[in-house]
Amino acid sequence: MTAFGSMGIAQIKAGLAAKEFSASEVAAQTFENIARADEQVHAFLETTEALAQDAAARIDRAIAEGRFGDMGVLAGVPVAFKDNMNLTGTHTTCSSRMLENYVSPYTATCVEKCLQAGALPIGKLNMDEFAFGSSTETSAFGPTRNPWDLERVPGGSSGGSAAAVAAGMVCATLGSDTGGSIRQPGSFCGIVAVKPTYGVVSRYGVVAFGSSLDQVGPFTRSVEDAAFVLNALAGRDPLDCTSQVCDVDFTANLAEGVCGMRIGVVPAFMEAQGLTSEVREKVEDAIAQLKALGAEIVEVDLPHARAAMSAYYVLGPCEAFSNLARFDSVRYGYCDPDHADLGSQYEASRAIGFGAEAKRRIMLGSYLLSSGVYDKYYYPAQQVRTLITQDYTQAYERVDCILTPVSPRTAFKFGEIGDPTEMYLSDMFTISINIAGNGGMSFPVGLGRETGLPVGVQLISPAFKDANMLRVAAALETVYGKAPVAPAFAEEKGAE
Amino acid sequence: MKSLEEVLETWEAVIGLEIHSELTTLNTKMFCGCKLEFGAAPNTHTCPVCLGLPGALPVPNKAAIESIVLAGLATNCDIEKHSMFYRKNYMYPDMAKNFQTTQGPIAFCMRGHLDLDVDGPAAKERYRLDSLEPGESSGNIVRTEDGYRAHVGITRIHMEEDAGKMVHIGGGEGRIAGAKESLVDYNRAGTPLIELVTEPDLRTPEEARLFMQKLRQIYLAIGISDCSMEEGSLRCDGNVSLRRRGSAQFGTKTELKNMNSFKNLHDGLAYEICRQAQVLEEGGVIYQETRHWDPSAKRTIVMRVKETADDYRLFPEPDLAPYDLSDEFIERVRAKLPELPDQKAARYSASFGLSAYDARHLVDHRATADFFDECMALVAAEKDGSKFAKPLANLIINDVTSYLNAHPEVALTDTPLTASRAVGLVRLQSDGAISSKQSKQVFAAIMEEDKDPDIIVEEKGMKQVSDAGAIEAVVDEVLAANPEKVAQFRDGKTGLMGFFVGQCMKAMRGQGNPKVINDLLSQKLS
Repeated sequence: MTAFGSMGIAQIKAGLAAKEFSASEVAAQTFENIARADEQVHAFLETTEALAQDAAARIDRAIAEGRFGDMGVLAGVPVAFKDNMNLTGTHTTCSSRMLENYVSPYTATCVEKCLQAGALPIGKLNMDEFAFGSSTETSAFGPTRNPWDLERVPGGSSGGSAAAVAAGMVCATLGSDTGGSIRQPGSFCGIVAVKPTYGVVSRYGVVAFGSSLDQVGPFTRSVEDAAFVLNALAGRDPLDCTSQVCDVDFTANLAEGVCGMRIGVVPAFMEAQGLTSEVREKVEDAIAQLKALGAEIVEVDLPHARAAMSAYYVLGPCEAFSNLARFDSVRYGYCDPDHADLGSQYEASRAIGFGAEAKRRIMLGSYLLSSGVYDKYYYPAQQVRTLITQDYTQAYERVDCILTPVSPRTAFKFGEIGDPTEMYLSDMFTISINIAGNGGMSFPVGLGRETGLPVGVQLISPAFKDANMLRVAAALETVYGKAPVAPAFAEEKGAE
Repeated sequence: MKSLEEVLETWEAVIGLEIHSELTTLNTKMFCGCKLEFGAAPNTHTCPVCLGLPGALPVPNKAAIESIVLAGLATNCDIEKHSMFYRKNYMYPDMAKNFQTTQGPIAFCMRGHLDLDVDGPAAKERYRLDSLEPGESSGNIVRTEDGYRAHVGITRIHMEEDAGKMVHIGGGEGRIAGAKESLVDYNRAGTPLIELVTEPDLRTPEEARLFMQKLRQIYLAIGISDCSMEEGSLRCDGNVSLRRRGSAQFGTKTELKNMNSFKNLHDGLAYEICRQAQVLEEGGVIYQETRHWDPSAKRTIVMRVKETADDYRLFPEPDLAPYDLSDEFIERVRAKLPELPDQKAARYSASFGLSAYDARHLVDHRATADFFDECMALVAAEKDGSKFAKPLANLIINDVTSYLNAHPEVALTDTPLTASRAVGLVRLQSDGAISSKQSKQVFAAIMEEDKDPDIIVEEKGMKQVSDAGAIEAVVDEVLAANPEKVAQFRDGKTGLMGFFVGQCMKAMRGQGNPKVINDLLSQKLS
């Protein structure tokens, strides 16, 4: 059996074009592989065999008719979606009891664009409930396990999206990132994970957490594959008025190297409390490699980045409070039966439907927006936002891309972090990018010396120059190689 | 309870209005592409956006922004170039997202005003108007010859979306109390709505009614809404408080709802003013509460007591970028402003010598004003065409308006009365060919038979007889046939004049020129 999930996009497409295998075979074997591997990982909440077979049949027909070349950048490529992305006819649960039985009547733009590009829709992926979390432990349907060490978390909130790719179940998935929810699990699972600039990818149909912070992006095991998926996703969507025109071929300058590029490093980040030495070593190694490849390393300062966490835990909960208000048991979602009045139905349904972390954020947002409190927190948070954005703007006068750690440490064990505020620190290096809105990604630079677990470095682009970080990542890839399938799952694949 | 007049002797009423209008002339909703249609089958004009489904996002309707800017320009507002949408968070099933998208401290339109001309019986509600000389001002009013002009400030006009409609089944009169189930129709959810908030500058229920009427005229003139109070596309809430004459301190206000006609607006406010006065005079306290006007019981009832100010947790809507209106955009909208009712009325007085009263009533409705303009255009080339203005105004204000009131489903443009027929009718009378009484008959016949007035007059043999010789013969006959009445008249029973005129008219089958008949009778009876 061929493990198509362990192949790259170009490889799958080449095989299809050469008729070495059919898209229907790709789909069928992908599901077989998932059935086996996901018993251990639990990345998928739902698999969509019928939809994938329909899409595969269209691709196979095109191949037979000699039209494969017209079928799009992801033609015949299995792709799976975080479970906060609507796909008509599938459940969109956001890993919450609240939406356990919710079936989407429409399709998100990012999913639709993948389908338009010929992707085979494989299923929906586990996540922290409503994307609140950094470990996928808050999922109402059980946690996802890290394919590198099943005792450990895959990161979150897009933990299912990262684990599915790291375990070789599929070669590409979509996740969403509000404070680090793509990059941190990408780092924990040792794969390429991109949060594009806010506005590059439409948010229409992606269940909102923090509307001004959320952005959709890909998980893959190579930089090229990430660029392929971004080519399918990017661009203005008339249904999302915060989306922007984006006429970029993200694959165009991957091979250009970093010679002459100016890469910024942030000394304060490298000395941050909580940054483990194994992560620091790998980040320093990556810096050295880039220097060796001809990049100029420049120290930059982001003086207000230390306030990013505080601003984030004001703005995020405020927006989440309002975005989650629609889950009220009236039109859809969990409805606690037999209440005599609306108020008690609301209360009971939300008390049972939402998990602890969702309730914590709703209550926090509700408090922060209340009269008298709003002025003390929301306004200063918006001011911090402006200052952080200015920090980045100033830094980018001197550099083309910034390199930092993604996460202060490698993947932790289940239950290891119980204190929510300690969990929040997982995102200390990623949050300021959502606050400022520019692009950031995680690229795997090998395994930590102490834990033997994957470590990612974060590359941060100026807004709408996401191609810059991809170019740097591609250069690092020439040194570190493409991300491997996690060893325990690579052995299973048989072929290759 | 004391009468309004008595109450206003002791108390000053302070009234502010909040007026919602649906932008019914647009094709689609505020934040999605769903069609706007009143009366469609429930939930047939809905989509993920207006149903608040998970993941759906709003996209603003540009035409709605144009409409609100037009409304602002027509009500003397400053147009704020930089404004944004906010989320007003509250949970209720008719608001699918459980927040309403509205505007924050800065609305598209700020700091406007309208001037109200209050005269006739409407002016009588104003306290001690007679103490002012014409031209003299007091507070926000200036005394005029026949009443006063009030300057009413407009705080703001902001853009928001309407909620869906709840239907309660099984309770009394569709009320939620006792209902077995409540249903929601989201067809109306997301309808573009503009809310105008006045300053607390109104002092009488009549002023409130006139403000509302004037605003309706303006909205109809600029074509942004069908302004149907019955169908709810124009809705008005009133905030009312009382303070003792001479006091500067505002009293506690109540908010009055369900005033879905001009009459209800007036009567509801009048009742509430009297009710508050009674409570206060009996030593009671006014609670800040929302009250419902019940027109059949003629009283207001408590809907909801506000113990604390509602906390709507307003914050900027992150899904919608802040708006920056360019000067170019604003000027483009300004160029679309039609002649507004006030300007039109002023033109009617200046160009055609109409009284302020006639001019104002002609512009009450866009249809009647347009019709008058069309008629005047037909006679514009004539030497003294403007002499037709007054009789045309009479025809339109009296006959046409009462016809339209009696046939509410008919639009003026759909009636058999064309401008040329109206001019023809007025011309027949001014030429002395028909009497004013006949004119009314001809008007009725035009509407009935859809024929030109000349033809009707011809067919019915209605040409008025003004020939003094022919009339004199009839007059002589009538006097000869009623000798006792002639004697009584000469003894001072002059009221019999009507009898003689009537007899003459009867003999002439209504075609005698009444003026000539009168003159001849007076001559012969003196």
